[in-house]
Amino acid sequence: MTLQIEKSAPRTEKTTQQNRGKVRLREHLMGWLFVGPFGIVFLALLIAPLAYALYLSLFQKKLIGGTSFVFLDNYVKAFTDPSFLSGSWFVIRFSLVSIPLQIIIALAMALILDAVTNAFTRFSRLMIFLPYAIPTVIGAVMWGFLYSKNFGPLTDIFALFGGTAPNFLSSNLIFIGLVNIVTWQWAGYYMIILYAALQGIDPALYEAARMDGAGKWQVALRIKIPLIAPALILILVFSLIGTLQFFNEPQILRSLAAGAIGPDYTPNMYAYQQAFSLANFNYGSAISFALGGVVFIGVYAFLFFTRKRRSFL
Amino acid sequence: MKKRLLAAAALLATTASLVACSSGEQGGGTTASGGNNASNCTNTIPKKDLPVVTMWGWYPNTQLVVDNFNKLNGEVQVCWTNVGQGSDEYDKFQTAISAGTGAPDVIMVEMDRIPTFQIQKALVDIKPYGYDAVKADYSEGAWKDVSVGGAVYGVPVDGGPMAMIYRKDIFEKYDITPPKTWAEYEQAAQKVKDAGGPLFGDFAANVSALTMALQIQKGAAPFTYDPAQQSTIGIKLNDQGSKDVLDYWTNLARKGLVGTQDQFTPEYISGVINGQYATYISAAWAPGYLTGAGVGKGEDTGKFAVAPLPQWDAANPVQVNWGGSAFSVTSQAKNPELAAKVAYGLYADKESLTDGWTNQIIFPLNLKALNDPAFVDLKVDFFDGQQANKEVYVPAANAYKGVTYSPFGQYYFDAMTKQVSALIEGSDTGAQAADRLQEDVVNYAKEQGFTVQ
Amino acid sequence: MSNRPRPQRNLPLQVFLGFLVVYFLVPFWWVIVNSSKDAPGLFGGGNTLWFADNIDYLGNLQQLFTYDNGLYGRWILNSTLYAIAGGVGATLLAVMAGYGFAKYRFAGRRFSFALVLGALMVPATALVIPTFMMFSQLGLTNTIWAVILPSLLNPFGVYLMHVYARDAIPNEILDAARADGAGEVRTFLQVALPLMRPAVVTVLLLSAVASWNNYFLPLAMLSDNRLFPVTVGLGLWQGIASGNNAGTTSLWSLIILGALVSVIPLVIAFFTLQRHWRGGLSVGGLR
Repeated sequence: MTLQIEKSAPRTEKTTQQNRGKVRLREHLMGWLFVGPFGIVFLALLIAPLAYALYLSLFQKKLIGGTSFVFLDNYVKAFTDPSFLSGSWFVIRFSLVSIPLQIIIALAMALILDAVTNAFTRFSRLMIFLPYAIPTVIGAVMWGFLYSKNFGPLTDIFALFGGTAPNFLSSNLIFIGLVNIVTWQWAGYYMIILYAALQGIDPALYEAARMDGAGKWQVALRIKIPLIAPALILILVFSLIGTLQFFNEPQILRSLAAGAIGPDYTPNMYAYQQAFSLANFNYGSAISFALGGVVFIGVYAFLFFTRKRRSFL
Repeated sequence: MKKRLLAAAALLATTASLVACSSGEQGGGTTASGGNNASNCTNTIPKKDLPVVTMWGWYPNTQLVVDNFNKLNGEVQVCWTNVGQGSDEYDKFQTAISAGTGAPDVIMVEMDRIPTFQIQKALVDIKPYGYDAVKADYSEGAWKDVSVGGAVYGVPVDGGPMAMIYRKDIFEKYDITPPKTWAEYEQAAQKVKDAGGPLFGDFAANVSALTMALQIQKGAAPFTYDPAQQSTIGIKLNDQGSKDVLDYWTNLARKGLVGTQDQFTPEYISGVINGQYATYISAAWAPGYLTGAGVGKGEDTGKFAVAPLPQWDAANPVQVNWGGSAFSVTSQAKNPELAAKVAYGLYADKESLTDGWTNQIIFPLNLKALNDPAFVDLKVDFFDGQQANKEVYVPAANAYKGVTYSPFGQYYFDAMTKQVSALIEGSDTGAQAADRLQEDVVNYAKEQGFTVQ
Repeated sequence: MSNRPRPQRNLPLQVFLGFLVVYFLVPFWWVIVNSSKDAPGLFGGGNTLWFADNIDYLGNLQQLFTYDNGLYGRWILNSTLYAIAGGVGATLLAVMAGYGFAKYRFAGRRFSFALVLGALMVPATALVIPTFMMFSQLGLTNTIWAVILPSLLNPFGVYLMHVYARDAIPNEILDAARADGAGEVRTFLQVALPLMRPAVVTVLLLSAVASWNNYFLPLAMLSDNRLFPVTVGLGLWQGIASGNNAGTTSLWSLIILGALVSVIPLVIAFFTLQRHWRGGLSVGGLR
C-alpha cells in the first residue's frame, strides 16, 4: 500500500502557520465528510452486527431452562462439534479442488482469447462470461435438472458412448457435481478479469521477448503470467472467501439430494440450520463468528505467505 | 456530462418510484412487521370493515378455502400468505418465534410439529375458545394428535392413513397380486427383479416421517413424553422393531430390489410416471400429490391402484399415519379468540371439504366429510374407479391409534435422514444406524436441558 | 494494444475453446428447450435436449405471469428494485469514500482504511444472522429495507474506487480547480467524478449484480412472499413443487421458464454495458 496523497507543495509553502492549521482542519473535515456516509453504514451494518454476534455467541438457550451466560462454551463446542468440523473440512477440501481448477480454466481461456482475436473468440468471450449473469441460486436450479437421470441430458450423452450416466446427486459424486456448478458459474468471471489484465500488458514486452527468441508458450509462461500475478492473487483471495462461506448451491440442491447434502454440509448451512430451523441463534452466531475468524485468518495467512500484499493492498 | 446526470437522475427517479410503489402496497404498515401485517394478503378480503386475522398455509386449494370462510363469516376475515411448504414454513415460524415478532395469527402445521412449537410456548391452547361446539366433528384420535395433555393446540384438518399404491400394469405383467405382508412384498420384489422388471419400491433418506411410521407399525414407540413433566422425555429409537424395519429396507436396497432415490423430487415423480417403481408406499394424500405433478393423466390413465399397507403379522394388522395437518393459533396472535374462530372455521364448511377430497388434496378428518357416503363410496378417477376410500383409506384411518411426537421434531428428522443416508451408501447394518441415531438424539435432548429416561 | 501483430489462427486452440463454449452454454440450451414443454412433456422423458412437438412458450409465459395473481412479475420488480437501490446506494457511498480516502489526509485515515480492508475478508453471510436479530428488534425484518440496507455495504467497491481515484486523478487537476475557486464538493462532482467514470460503472454493475443474486439475506429477512426477490421466490416454488402441493398447476414448468426469464435482464444489462464494465475492470485496481 503506497500512500501518495501529498498535496502539491507550492500551496503549503505559501501559507502561514495559522493558515496551514486551518487547511489541515478543513482537510480533516472534508475527508470525513466524504468517508462519513460509508463509515456510518460500515459501523451500523458491519461492526455492530459483528459485535452483536459476539455478544449473542456468549449465551446459550435451551428448550428446557432458558437462556444463560456461558462465556466461550459455544466456541469450545463448535471446535469439537463433528458437524462444524466436517463442514469446515469440506469447504477446505472444496477450496483446494475447485479454486485451482477454476483458475486454471480461466487462465487458459484468457490466454487463448488474448492470443487469438477473431469473431469466434469475441463471441466465445461473451458466452463464457454469460453464467456470471445468472444468480447462483438459479444456476444451481438449472444444474439440478441437468443432473437428473430422467430428464437431464446426461443419460442421452452417456448412452451415445454406451455408458451409464453418473449420478452427480449421489453422496459419492455430489462433490464433483458442486465443483462443476461452481466452475461453470465463476470461471468466466475470473477469465474476464485475467483477460482485462492481459490486455493491459505493454505489447512491446512481447516484441522484446520474441527478439530474444522466446516462443509463444514461453511468452505466456515467462511474461504474461508473472505480469498478471496480482490479478491472480486477487481472484484467489476472493474465490477463497467465497468458497469458505459456501451456501447457496448446496442449499438449493438439498431439495433434490437431501440424502447426500445434510443440513450441516457447510459451516454456513450449519449456522443457518442452527439459527433458523432449530431456533438456536446463540450457537448459530458462534458458528458464524468462528467461520468469520477462520476465513479472516486463512486469507490473511495466504496473503502473508504469498508476500504479495503490497500489490493487493 | 449532462447526459450522464440525466441518466443518473432517471435511475434515481425509477428507484424512488419503485420504493414508493412497494411501500405503498404495504399499506403504510410500518409498525407491523411480518405476518401480522394484514394488508399483504394473497387473497382479497371482501368485508373490509371486519377485523382481520392473518394465516399461513400451503394447501393447493387454500385460496378457495379462505374465500369460502370469508364469504360465510360475518365476524372476522382471513388474510392468507403462503410462505412455503413444510420445513420452509417452519423455519419462518421458528424465526418469528425467536424474534418475538413476525408470526401470523393462525398457522397451518403438520401434527407431528405441534409439540415442537408448543414447548416453546409459541401456540395457544384454544380449548376455551369454542372447542365444545366442534368437539363432535372429529374423532377422539384426531383430537389426541393435536393435544398436549389436556390442552388443545390445533384443529385437525387432514390425516395420512397409509397404504400401498401400485402399478396395475406392472403387477399384471409379472403376475403378482398385492402383497399382504412385508415378507410377501420382498418375494414379489424378487420375482419382478428376476424377470428383469423395474424396481419394486423406494427407500429414501429424506422421508424420515415415513420411516418413522413404518417403524411404529413394527411396534416402535420413539418418544414417551408427559406434557405435565416437560423436562423429562423417554427416547427409544433403537428398539428391535426400529432396527428390524431399517434392516428390512436396507436389505431390499442392497439386493437392488428397491431404489434409494430421494422422494418429493422431480426425479422421483418422473420415475413414478415412467413406471420405474412398481409400488409407492404412501398415504391418502398421495393420489393428489401425483395428480398435481401430472401423473395418471394421458398415457398413464388408469394404471394405478391401491391396496392396504403390507403387514408384519397379517393376523394382527397395525395401521399407521404419515402426514396430516392442523390449524393452530400462535401466541403472537393479537386476538386469540378471533384467531381461534378462524382456526375452527377454516376448512370446516362443506364446500371446502368437498373440494378438498374430490381433488384428493386432503383426506378429511372432519367427520361430516369422513362419514359422508359421497366420500366413502367415491370412485376415484386416479385409481380407475376403484373405491379407494371405502376399501383402503377409511378402514386404515379408523384403525389408527395415534402417536406421541417429539418436542424437537426437526432435529429428530434431520438426524434420521443422516443415518438412513449413511445406511444407503455404506455397509453398516440397520441396527448400528438405529444405535447411532439413538445416541445422537439423546445427546441433543440432554444438551437442550431434558432429563432423558 | 491495437498495434499488436495479429496472431495467426490457431486451430487446436479454437477447437478447445469451442468445447468450452458448448460446456458453458449447455445449461442455457436445456432451459430454453425445456421451458417450452408442459408437465407431461417434461416428466414423460424422451428428448431432453430438443423441443417437444407442441411448443407452448406463450401458454407457459402467460401462466408464469398470471399464476398466484402475477406473483412472478412482482418478484422480478422486487429484484430490480433491490438491485437498483442497493447498487446505486452502494456505489454512491463507495465513490465518496474511495475519493475521500485517496485525496484527503485526515485523522484516522490509515486506521479506518485498514478496517475497510479487513472487512473485505469478513464473509458477508456471517453477518446475516446478527443483522437479522438487530433488524427484528427494530421492526425492520420483512420490509424492503431489510434487503436494501445491508446491500449498501460494499467494502470492495471502496477499495476499488480508492485505487482508481488515487491513480487516475492527478492532484494537480484538483488543485487547479480549487485555485479557480471551486469548492471541494464542486471539485469532486465536476472534476473528479467524470474521471472516475469507468470505475463507477464497474462498481455499480458489481454491486447491482451482487444485490440481484442475493439469496441468503432475503431468505432470512423476508417472510412475505410478495416482497421476495426472484431468487428466493423460485426457491419457494421449488419447495412447493417438491411437496407438490400446487394443485392442478405443475410448478416445474413455471420454475424452468421463470429461471430463463429471470436471467434475461442481467444478460441484456451486461451485453449493452459491455464496453463500460470491461474498461473499468481493466483500468481499475485489478491490474
